[in-house]
Amino acid sequence: MGKQGGDSSSLINEQGIRADGRRIDELRPIKIEVGILKNADGSAFIQFGKNKIMAAVYGPKEVHPKHSALPDRSVLRCRYHMSPFSTEERKNPAPSRREIEISKVTREALEPSLMLEDYPRTAIDVFVEVLQSDGGSRCAGISAASVALADAGINMRDLVSACAAGKVAGQVVLDVDDTEDKEGQADLPIAIMSTSNQVTLLQLDGQLNEEEFNKALSWALSGCKKVYELQREALIGRYFGKNEKVLEVEQ
Amino acid sequence: MSAVKKIFVVEQLRRVQMSDLLARGTRLDGRGLSDFRELTITTNVIEKAEGSCRVKLGNTELIAGVKVNLGTPFPDTPDKGLLVVSAEVLPLASPYAEPGPPDENTIELARVADRGIRESGMIDVSKLVLVEGKHVYAVFVDVSILNVDGNLFDATSYAVVSSLMTAKIPKYVLDDKGQPSKTDEMVSLPIQTIPVSVTQARIGDHLIVDPTSEEEALMESRITLVSDDKGNLCAGQKGMPGSLTTDQVLQAASTAKLKGEEIRSIIKKAVYNG
Amino acid sequence: MPEVKRRYVIPGEVVARGNVRADLNVMRVNDTLVATRVGMAEIGHDVVRVVPLSGPYIPRIDDLVVGKVIDYSAFAWEADINSCFFGILPAASVFGRDYSPAKDSLTDKLKVGDMIASRVIAFDRTRDPLLSISGPGLGRIPRGQVVKISPAKVPRLIGKKGSMIKTIEVGTRSRMLIGQNGVVVIVGSPEDTLRAIRAVNLVDEEAHSADLTEKVQLMLGITPEPQQADAEQESDEFGSETQTENEQSAASSGESDVMSPENMQSGESSSEQISEGI
Repeated sequence: MGKQGGDSSSLINEQGIRADGRRIDELRPIKIEVGILKNADGSAFIQFGKNKIMAAVYGPKEVHPKHSALPDRSVLRCRYHMSPFSTEERKNPAPSRREIEISKVTREALEPSLMLEDYPRTAIDVFVEVLQSDGGSRCAGISAASVALADAGINMRDLVSACAAGKVAGQVVLDVDDTEDKEGQADLPIAIMSTSNQVTLLQLDGQLNEEEFNKALSWALSGCKKVYELQREALIGRYFGKNEKVLEVEQ
Repeated sequence: MSAVKKIFVVEQLRRVQMSDLLARGTRLDGRGLSDFRELTITTNVIEKAEGSCRVKLGNTELIAGVKVNLGTPFPDTPDKGLLVVSAEVLPLASPYAEPGPPDENTIELARVADRGIRESGMIDVSKLVLVEGKHVYAVFVDVSILNVDGNLFDATSYAVVSSLMTAKIPKYVLDDKGQPSKTDEMVSLPIQTIPVSVTQARIGDHLIVDPTSEEEALMESRITLVSDDKGNLCAGQKGMPGSLTTDQVLQAASTAKLKGEEIRSIIKKAVYNG
Repeated sequence: MPEVKRRYVIPGEVVARGNVRADLNVMRVNDTLVATRVGMAEIGHDVVRVVPLSGPYIPRIDDLVVGKVIDYSAFAWEADINSCFFGILPAASVFGRDYSPAKDSLTDKLKVGDMIASRVIAFDRTRDPLLSISGPGLGRIPRGQVVKISPAKVPRLIGKKGSMIKTIEVGTRSRMLIGQNGVVVIVGSPEDTLRAIRAVNLVDEEAHSADLTEKVQLMLGITPEPQQADAEQESDEFGSETQTENEQSAASSGESDVMSPENMQSGESSSEQISEGI
């Protein structure tokens, strides 16, 4: 479904304030918790606006069936799934085409960050479960999954942080929510490896001219950086308590 | 070597340990034989659902959500609304859970939870009818299991019951043409009683309440009994390849009523004060 | 000892720059050294590493591991060693060179579900780790209770020169066998064992605490000895035990040394072994 860009004037008022009260360059409230599921090797829960998403990692572990194992590296498998009660209308629990595609891009967004060569002949499973959906659930899911991978203690080159920008009522905005996604003109979800600034996810749904695209991309990247700070805080808080500042030694 | 084998191999040492402890009337986590683990119910955790709750029973953790829409009744019950309970053990819940459609264990789980609610008459389904034979409310309760540590039967039942009790559903009325239309008014479901499920596992000659995964790996048989407000038993299910003596069944029934009271007050407190 | 700076890091964070040697869980990217795990970075004068607080058990040669027999073929047992790799225990290493599948039966020695104290004798990532149960302190474990902790927290459970083991063993009148793979066997009366398990779980949950020893003592109702023990606890902050083990071989430099079988029996009743030879 393409963006219709219909009557979206009510989405941003004359003062540049969006329907939910945010400025055009403002993120929704974000909260990340790490290590909340007992059985998983690593886990994280993210609230991103109204999104409530659980991510869990199992592995590295034995591969079944055995012939799908690789001799020199681990196989990364991802599943993005929505609970039936996560949407306005009850969602059929069977995976939709949308969920299957998002599973694939999630895997490809995370894979560059992982040192899979350290775990030959094994598999690493990443499960992203959307308990309540809002716009930008794939980005929130990827950010949570990357934290869960770090929690699982899998060797990583970098953390992956994700955030979208878009175009609503003719203006570039940061972090598109559900209503803006449905009624807006474009959505540009981005994931980056934060310290090395490499893009690992890019999708574009809707029209942007070159200037708008450049602006949206740079805003999305700045959103990713903010997400990164929260990911870092959550991981440090989980392992070292909240008194990080006290114990930190200068470099 | 398959992963499946890993599930069934319980350490020899563990068996010995557990039977020693059971003989002394205690368990690995220090509980008595008829003690539940800590039960926490948090209501309205999913704003988009009409009713929802998160249930933690020890380390077993799940979320239930209620969605309501209009549907057509079954031909044989034209005067009753629809109530559908489903459960999914999410692959993130355990190293042994696989993605895919629910297996026989998960279907049994959802059906036993459903039976407790249906047979206790918890929801007066005759009040969920707009036009007999044509338009009725369809109530879907879905349970997403997030972490498995035993006794999914009771945890699922408490989640379904609590989310139904908290649900506020949109009221529909009939317009001039006799077609249903949604109003802004939100109403509670017609609740008549609070059914409580109590599951017990038999290990050797001992019956234990609220088994953990580890205890379930060693249990020979399992019995789930559901009681209502008045202390009537209204649903039951024996599970696993082992058996129970008639005395054990009677003992299980009396424990189910006794423990059911305790749990009912926890559910009430969570729903009405939460 | 040269000054070592410590700092919490997450994967991707730059730990140090320039001509410094990368030790464990650190990778070089051009001029920088980058952490690959969540943990405590230890930045020395000429070497940096990250001591992780989570992660799977990856076998290393000479590690003592507690395994569970889960399968067997005509020539070997297979053991779950709490890793993505399964341990292989060849029948010949138990029966001797003249092992013959025709006359010897593997189940006479070890059954599925049996626990073993074993050592990793070969492992190179192209094939599963090879185990041995011959040697002092190795063999079938006939009794005791099994607890699992995060393998990354094993050094904390052992403590500086085995201090944490000693605290728990003495405080609970039980004995412990700690595998590098995070599998712990506790032997004692049922009540003592329950208390020891709680103490072990506390170490697992609170491994990052600077005052971990005190927390364990408090739980076990032990009054800390006022002498030199206190001074040690002051410095008993995260990762400090690895410092004393620096002279150890590179293979175990990331964590404190494997409990040798002699240390393992360091509890009160050291004459009694946790494992038995076959």
